[in-house]
Amino acid sequence: MFFHIVLERNMQLHPRHFGRNLRENLVAKLMKDVEGTCSGQHGFVVAITGIENIGKGLIRDGTGFVSFPVKYQCVVFRPFKGEILEAVVTMVNKMGFFAEAGPVQIFVSNHLIPDDMEFQSGDMPNYTTSDGSVKIQKDSEVRLKIIGTRVDATEIFCIGTIKDDFLGVINDPASV
Amino acid sequence: MSIEPFNRLVKLAARAFYDDITTKGDNQPKTGRSDNRGIAVVVLDALSRRQWVREEDLAKDLKLHSKQLRRTLRFFEEEKLVTRDHRKETAKGAKIFSAAVAATADGQQPTKEGEEKIKLHTHSYCCLDYAQIYDVVRYRLHRMKKKLKDELEDKNTVQEYVCPNCGKRYNALDALQLISLEDEYFHCESCNGELVAESDKLASQEVGDGDSNARRLRREKLKDMLQNMEVQLKPLMEQINRVKDLPAPEFGTLQAWEARANAQRRAENGESSATDPSKSSHGLGYGGTPMPFLGDTKVEVDFSGVEGKGNDIKSEADTTSLKVLPPWMIKQGMNLTKEQRGEVKQEAKMDDTLAAPEYSDDKKANTEDNEKTLQDEYFKAYYAALIQRQQEEAEKSRQVGMKSKRDENEGDDNVNWEEAPVAGDANGNFKVNDLNVEADATAEDEDDIDWEEG
Repeated sequence: MFFHIVLERNMQLHPRHFGRNLRENLVAKLMKDVEGTCSGQHGFVVAITGIENIGKGLIRDGTGFVSFPVKYQCVVFRPFKGEILEAVVTMVNKMGFFAEAGPVQIFVSNHLIPDDMEFQSGDMPNYTTSDGSVKIQKDSEVRLKIIGTRVDATEIFCIGTIKDDFLGVINDPASV
Repeated sequence: MSIEPFNRLVKLAARAFYDDITTKGDNQPKTGRSDNRGIAVVVLDALSRRQWVREEDLAKDLKLHSKQLRRTLRFFEEEKLVTRDHRKETAKGAKIFSAAVAATADGQQPTKEGEEKIKLHTHSYCCLDYAQIYDVVRYRLHRMKKKLKDELEDKNTVQEYVCPNCGKRYNALDALQLISLEDEYFHCESCNGELVAESDKLASQEVGDGDSNARRLRREKLKDMLQNMEVQLKPLMEQINRVKDLPAPEFGTLQAWEARANAQRRAENGESSATDPSKSSHGLGYGGTPMPFLGDTKVEVDFSGVEGKGNDIKSEADTTSLKVLPPWMIKQGMNLTKEQRGEVKQEAKMDDTLAAPEYSDDKKANTEDNEKTLQDEYFKAYYAALIQRQQEEAEKSRQVGMKSKRDENEGDDNVNWEEAPVAGDANGNFKVNDLNVEADATAEDEDDIDWEEG
């Protein structure tokens, strides 16, 4: 699920950026530092949408760096148990398959794949129904449900299922 | 409050879940004779016809060995169906229980009476805990259904993997760390062994790895199990729903139940408030039990000189007559002799000459505070004595309130002298309504002597 929230961060800015572009430099550095990171509490920071407030800079003794407390608005993505996501399959093996929904990785184990789909090994390992009409392989797009999340301080990992109504392949790359 | 639906619930649950429970250890051979399956049901049924019951009695009634019964009951205690209570008691305590049993409405007559020895024995009592049974059964049903359903739908189940070499366990959430670059299997982090998916599921024992036929069979089996469960446990579920809104029968703790049962019997027999079980000193476990069923607290002050007045308190006089009670055990309203209080008359007489004047002065000061609460006869007697005492005192030139001097003569400085005048004289046996004005037992006793001397 996506959230629009306000976060705060202390930014250290090198003295060479001081000048009339200080603010631009600060924001650019903030985006570079923060976007794409993951915190267990808030999830993945997808994008910074605006700066709320930049506090007074404090010169660090000895280095000349200045630290600014910056409040910024951003979009975060945080997966939850029970959430339905669309993801791209990245790897298929005997134990199940891995998929990615943006920054988050999801594992679907083989007992959470519908019973009528069977693993086919080979050059392009895949799960296929007996009549061959549905196939899950690398780069397939699937809709899945998250049934468990592991949230570490800097990492989020999910397990999902496609064994439910309206879940499964939504776009087969082979047929396109 | 009807107990019947709950008893039905107990019986149904007993037959559903505890039918084939055997309390024998697994190491013993299961011959036909030692096979005691079904005993759990019998015990539960018997308990549903009783309230609190002594385990020995129950064993006798059921013609079971008490050890066997105890084992069964311990099992039920762990299952949270039964509450148990153990206490040390003499024959007298057992009698109180027997009286309580006799008072209960279901007319269970105690089979024995008074064959116990005076020695302290640990007796165990047990009783069904209906409120908890309701919860336990409901939870059990819920868990059973959930387990089957989850397995049927593979819902919310996190696949577990186990390393056959080192036995280390992983689950699907670890999958990212477990994939190896060489092949498509998961590998153990510590020994690099190939992990196998674990199947500890009910119906999957024969399923090697997920070939579709086996899976289908498994599903069928699970479905059957779920259906069977629904059908077979239907009466139990209906009973659960029936008792849902009824208040569960509550017997309280053993002591509370006993006290209530005895109070009820007294009320029926029209007896006065004699034989308070809380006061009878038969052993442990009764001491500070609150007795909310005894009605208003009435404190009667009996003076030790007037033995005849105490005859409505029969219970403890015989057992404890010669025993010396420590001061902290002497409570208000206890009818005790001087010997029981551990006092010797000579001692009291010795210090009398010294202490007497001071008493009366203290009394004088105290009287002003308390006099409104006292009765008229009391005043008459008291002032008569006071005047007499003051006359004596006038001859001596003693200072008021020097209590420290008499401590050398008598050991117990705990004695609450200040309160002495309240109940101290008149040799009457009257009720003091205000408990704050109540005299300390020891003080009143001392004082009694004092007045006799004076």
